[in-house]
Amino acid sequence: MKKRLIYSGLCLAATLFTTGCTKDFTKINTDPNATTADQFNPNFLLAQAQLNYSQTGYSQLLFQSMWTQSLASTFSYYGNGDKYQQSGSFNDYIGRVYSEGYGAETYVEEIKNLTKGKTGYDNLNNIATIMKVLIVQRITDTYGDVPYSEAGQAKQGVFFPKFDKQQAIYTAMLTDLDAALTALNPAKDKPSSDLFYGGDIDKWKRFGYSLMVRVAMRLTKVDPATAQKYVEKAAAAGTMTSIDDNAKVKTDNTNNYANAIVNALLTVDDFREVRWSKTLISFMKSTTDPRVSAIAEIATGNGKKANETENVAGDNSYSKQIGLPNGLDLNGGSTDVTTDPNYPGATPADPAVEKDAPAPLGKYSRPRLQVYYTSSSNINPVDRSTINMLLTYGETELLLAEAATRGWSVGGSAATHYANALAADMKSIAQINTAATISDAAITAYVATHPLGASALQQINTEYWVETSTLFMFNENWTNWRRSGFPVLTPVKYPSQFDTEIPRRVIYPITLQSTNPNGLASGVQSLSGGDKFSSRVWWDK
Amino acid sequence: MGVHRPWVSQSLNLCKFALAGMVLLNVQASAAEAPKAKAKSNYNFNLNFAKLTGKVVDEKGEPLVGVSIRIKGTTTGTQTDANGNFTLDVQPNTVLTLSYIGYATVDVAVGGKSTITITLKSNTNLNEVVVTALGIKKEEKKLGYAVTTVKGDLLDKAKETNVAYSLEGRVAGVSISGVSGGPGSSARILLRGVTSGGAGSPLFVINGVPMDNTQRGSSGEWGGADYGDGISNINPDDVETITVLKGQSASALYGSRASNGVILITTKGGKKNSGFGVEFNTNYQADKVNNTTDFQTTYGQGQHGVKPASVDGAQQSSRLAWGSKLDGSNTIQFDGKSYPYSAAGTNNLQNFYRTGNTYTNTVSFDGGGENGAFRLSVSDLNAGSIIRNSSLGRKTFNLNVNQNVTPKLNIAVVANYLIENSKNRPSLSDGPGNPNNIWFLAPNINQSILSPGIAANGYEQVWTDDPYVTNPYFAANNFINNTGRKRLISSLTARYNFTDWIYAQARLGYDNINDSRFKVTPTGTAYYTGLMGGLDEQSTAQSFEFNADGLVGVKHTIVKDLLAFDFSAGANIRKNQYEYTSLSGGPFTLPFFYSYSNVSVKNAANYQFNKSEVHSAYYTADFNIKSFLTLSTTGRYDAYSKLPANNLSIFTPSVSASFLFSDLLKLPTLDFGKLRVSYAKTSGEPDKAYSTSAYYNLGNQINGTTIGNYSLDLYNLNLKPYTLDELEIGTELKFFNGRLSVDADYFSRKTHNELLRSQLDPAAGFNTRLIGTQSFQNRGVEVEIKGTPVQTSTFSWSPSINFTYVKNKVLKTDDFGTTQTLGTYRPLNANLAYVVGLPGPQIMANDYKRDSGGNIIFDANGYPETTARIPMGSTVPKIYGGLNNDFSYKHFNLSFLVDYRFGGKILSATNAYSIFRGLNKITLDGREGGVVGKGVTEAGTPNTKSVDAQDYYQKGLYNVSALNVLNGDFIKLRQVTFGYTFTSSFLNGSPFNAITVSAVGRNLWTIMKHSDNIDPESGFSNNINYAGIEGTSLPATRTFGINVNFKFRK
Repeated sequence: MKKRLIYSGLCLAATLFTTGCTKDFTKINTDPNATTADQFNPNFLLAQAQLNYSQTGYSQLLFQSMWTQSLASTFSYYGNGDKYQQSGSFNDYIGRVYSEGYGAETYVEEIKNLTKGKTGYDNLNNIATIMKVLIVQRITDTYGDVPYSEAGQAKQGVFFPKFDKQQAIYTAMLTDLDAALTALNPAKDKPSSDLFYGGDIDKWKRFGYSLMVRVAMRLTKVDPATAQKYVEKAAAAGTMTSIDDNAKVKTDNTNNYANAIVNALLTVDDFREVRWSKTLISFMKSTTDPRVSAIAEIATGNGKKANETENVAGDNSYSKQIGLPNGLDLNGGSTDVTTDPNYPGATPADPAVEKDAPAPLGKYSRPRLQVYYTSSSNINPVDRSTINMLLTYGETELLLAEAATRGWSVGGSAATHYANALAADMKSIAQINTAATISDAAITAYVATHPLGASALQQINTEYWVETSTLFMFNENWTNWRRSGFPVLTPVKYPSQFDTEIPRRVIYPITLQSTNPNGLASGVQSLSGGDKFSSRVWWDK
Repeated sequence: MGVHRPWVSQSLNLCKFALAGMVLLNVQASAAEAPKAKAKSNYNFNLNFAKLTGKVVDEKGEPLVGVSIRIKGTTTGTQTDANGNFTLDVQPNTVLTLSYIGYATVDVAVGGKSTITITLKSNTNLNEVVVTALGIKKEEKKLGYAVTTVKGDLLDKAKETNVAYSLEGRVAGVSISGVSGGPGSSARILLRGVTSGGAGSPLFVINGVPMDNTQRGSSGEWGGADYGDGISNINPDDVETITVLKGQSASALYGSRASNGVILITTKGGKKNSGFGVEFNTNYQADKVNNTTDFQTTYGQGQHGVKPASVDGAQQSSRLAWGSKLDGSNTIQFDGKSYPYSAAGTNNLQNFYRTGNTYTNTVSFDGGGENGAFRLSVSDLNAGSIIRNSSLGRKTFNLNVNQNVTPKLNIAVVANYLIENSKNRPSLSDGPGNPNNIWFLAPNINQSILSPGIAANGYEQVWTDDPYVTNPYFAANNFINNTGRKRLISSLTARYNFTDWIYAQARLGYDNINDSRFKVTPTGTAYYTGLMGGLDEQSTAQSFEFNADGLVGVKHTIVKDLLAFDFSAGANIRKNQYEYTSLSGGPFTLPFFYSYSNVSVKNAANYQFNKSEVHSAYYTADFNIKSFLTLSTTGRYDAYSKLPANNLSIFTPSVSASFLFSDLLKLPTLDFGKLRVSYAKTSGEPDKAYSTSAYYNLGNQINGTTIGNYSLDLYNLNLKPYTLDELEIGTELKFFNGRLSVDADYFSRKTHNELLRSQLDPAAGFNTRLIGTQSFQNRGVEVEIKGTPVQTSTFSWSPSINFTYVKNKVLKTDDFGTTQTLGTYRPLNANLAYVVGLPGPQIMANDYKRDSGGNIIFDANGYPETTARIPMGSTVPKIYGGLNNDFSYKHFNLSFLVDYRFGGKILSATNAYSIFRGLNKITLDGREGGVVGKGVTEAGTPNTKSVDAQDYYQKGLYNVSALNVLNGDFIKLRQVTFGYTFTSSFLNGSPFNAITVSAVGRNLWTIMKHSDNIDPESGFSNNINYAGIEGTSLPATRTFGINVNFKFRK
């Protein structure tokens, strides 16, 4: 009896857990909400990479946009950019270009993994390579040495990617780009989830060669021979031919992809206190640039309330546009905005608004509500689905104008490329919002009266600065300023800055101290000045 | 009296209200009659009493000294003298109650005798039965490992809304840390240190069935609210006992999840043949804010020594005390009005908060006959937070039925049903929606000018320079964060006794939870783009844990008085499932209308699903050799669905021995001596399912184009179960007839192949990867000493002390020894981390940079230079415990609990902010004329550079985050209860057998601490990643209350 009972107890136990019982475990441990590699379409990852790369938001607003004096702000949160002073969530934001950049890069690596050796994905595979160059260039330009050859290889067991020397990265980028562009074939697959060109391989070729121009021209200070070689190769193969070739991503707020820049700027304080910089507006007015009225406006109405209102179009008349000088605040001390000799005065409190107060920045120009916040004509509320501009025909023509100025063979004269660029730059703003359309007559007249002159490099790169400012491409804007030295900017003086000169790079993300200490150490080693904002990356001699 | 009844909740249902009223009337009646009753008894005494002479001896016939002898039902009595003799005036029908520590209490009828000899039997807990793993009852003396049982009556007078907090300071080896987040906040419970990197919660087992203790979300450096944990759902009034199984041997039978220890909760049930009883308990407690800050009040609002001169300037500096000396002059404020520039008064900040009133009413009915017993309780808790507009309501229903269907078959059903609704769980840590930013108000601003937090249009009244720091009144009055929970924890047990030595048992346990959440950023919130506000979350979640197990037990004596064995074997299937659906979107189209239908952009629905199973089999075998040696072994086989097919199972054994050496060596004064040794291994599984292969997801389309993505947490095909092994050596000693007892343990435990999400350089392509490499070690000592130094017939004093020392060490993280970054505080300039070779979690902070002579180095601008982030000590205390004292005098009892913690550090955001904002007293130095830091320049010459005070502290000292690493040591008077019991003799004529009235207090006095301006226990998350991080959570409170308990039995 006893034995039988023990035995039956053990049997009960045994039946409950024998291997037969765990045979369903694989099924139980399969996520019903996700799909596996064999079912998945790798094209879908291209759109994710493009979107992630394009959504910069605060990571370019807080630093780059104000270092080059495109924008300015009295708001302490923008102290990093406006005043080279640690503020806000400094430790977080210094790592954003890195983490957001590689956060996009992982998807193109995965496209390569999923398409490797598979037929029907040849163009997608090569486009992934082009995307990798586009993405990593921004990262290496920002920090210096970063992972390239071992980037995105965690699945292959590389958890601490080595930091490649920037020189090696540039060599590899040009080689990889060349190979991928050669292999692109309009007769083959057409990527289905392509936010840039809807799978148009011809446009991808022109984009790729324009990117080659951008990459190669970065080497003008350090290796002009290589720069020349690849710029000439790209020009011969065919770069962008019109603003229809501009690479851009349109965001989609209704599907929860709100534009990251708009999201940041719509925060009340940002909206009230982020203005175009005096440096930019003054320069544009010095050439009577018709873009001024397209991009800038002052708040309609007087007082703080009016200055905070986010759904009333401003006054964009040319004569009223004034830029805010960088380096000022509202703290009432020696750097208060009212101490500026050219301070236009506050707009007084509106007596019709209860408890209203004067708006100290009410007369300074802000980015136009209807252009930069909405893709339609709707500003109440703004639709937040605006375009992120990534690489343009105009900027390519400017670089080709510079190449021609340097005597390189790029087809067409410097003057022609410059004139092409000016016209394209003015038209491109209307791609963000048609409210910024500048009449063809005005464009033609301006181009005719502003030919390329004797100081060609200054003229070209200053226009590059205007173009990338007005299209909100602040990363490229800052990087080309570092490369070209134009426009000549005067650094802001303010108490307790982390740097008294305009930063030449961003310090490495703090998290690397624990996640990749050896990589970080090798990256820092390459910087003659150490891991500082004032140190220069390899190509920035 | 009788009219004012603060402890009777408004929300009482009719039945309970009537009952409460009835008993209150009876209190009055009894109180009024009391003196009369006493006089009558005195009168009787003179007439009928005769002298009784007696002697009390032990089982060996030795006289017992100091035995308490009372006339049953009265307080009249005496005690035995040095020879064990006593005399007492008694009536012929008197019954005596004899009680003596270490001996069973007995009632003896005098029966008209004039001399009597009474023998007391020892009960030195020798045969005390404790509930061990799987609900198997064992004699405590035979256990080869440490368990501690806490009786429910210690928990239910001074109530905490989370019953886990009540264990604080009570049990050696247990460390409890709460979250300063209002009623029902989570607890972090560590048994024997930071067991593993995840430092998960112990497994809670209620009436034999594992219950879900998932934390429902907590705050991090970027804010968020604490949504409570599973254990906070339990009603303290229903708890009979809590048994803590600290060691791995004790909990080995639970397998996975038991590696963090096991806490067994037994709820109250009816007792057989107990008749019918009703118990009503009503409790009122008031939480009062305790201002722990000691900020400067010399300088007021402003910047660089200047007070504000404009509305804008005032708004910019409302949280900056860098102005001029407070002089009472009229000063413009951000609201446009002028106020005197003088300190706002000592209670200014407390006045922002309210008294948190908590009412708990529980009524229970129990009964038992020959073949069964039941208990049913209904309880209602209404806890108001100190934050206005925030509260927790909880109704619990508990049914416990036990029936002998046949003489051999017993069926037990236990069901706990809970309805919990919490209103506006406040945001903590970061600024958005957090009412606690009030603490950084400049000293001259009266907090009341922030009220009501809205402008005329109903939008937030912005009060400071940063819109992400919400107006505290707007945060409290306008933000919505409501949660609801319905939960049924049930079990069905059938036990069949084949013979008196063999039984089979089957048990089904089901813990089913339905959660809902409604969270809104209101219209007018200053940081919300467009100011319309949005719907953050409207969600439902269903989760369940299902357990089915079967067990066969055999108990047999093989050779009488020499060898007996006790064997059980069983198997278990556990299923867990979680399903979550959430809607969100924004901005609202119409203002102030908070509905999903009013959302202009609807986000994609968020759907989550998770399912897993564990199949297990186990055995436990005890061999009793003679009366003094017990050898035990357990074994468990687990198969985990979350693990890859080739590596999903593991067998883990344990062995233990208990040796009663006092049975062999008869030592004077030592009544009981036990040595216990055990070794055990347990195993565990990954926290999430679906971690072993690659998955791809589809996102919302963007302008009609499909987007795909995948998790940036890298999957791992090579996972295997992690294990923990532990060696434990302990002893239990009882002296002087049990009036002194000592229980001590040494343990050494180590984890292997522990799973961690190792952070990656994002350039590697993923943010984290799941790997099984981590290893932690904990070694420590636990001691519990209990005594009864004084025991007379009317007075006793029973102190007890417990002490724990745990030394934790991170032996390994990943294969490369990478430091694992954990959480941080909102200033972001320091963080917690697991560092190989050091106890975890370490604070990593920037210290002053010093030259070889120890001088601080200053840069050319006069600011101190800093080091890289270096380890500054662990946030988990090394030494902790409590000292409890129970006094009883006649029907009065008084107890107080002091607890202490030493050796842990705090990372304090309050300290960082107080320096940045000029509130900290250290910022008084250099206000006039600037600060010249004491130290040297890089060249080694003395620093002479003078810096403006605001710049120096904000831009210099603020970066020395090591200054925010505070010493977390403290000693606190945790709890005091003072009570009086009206016994049946007193209540004669009323329907009650006993009424106990108690005054209670919790967290009354911080006897010692070293952390200026903060409560050392303050924290915003129970997650180990944020252990010891403090900042902008609810302030510390003191709790005062009253508890009245009525017992009726027929």
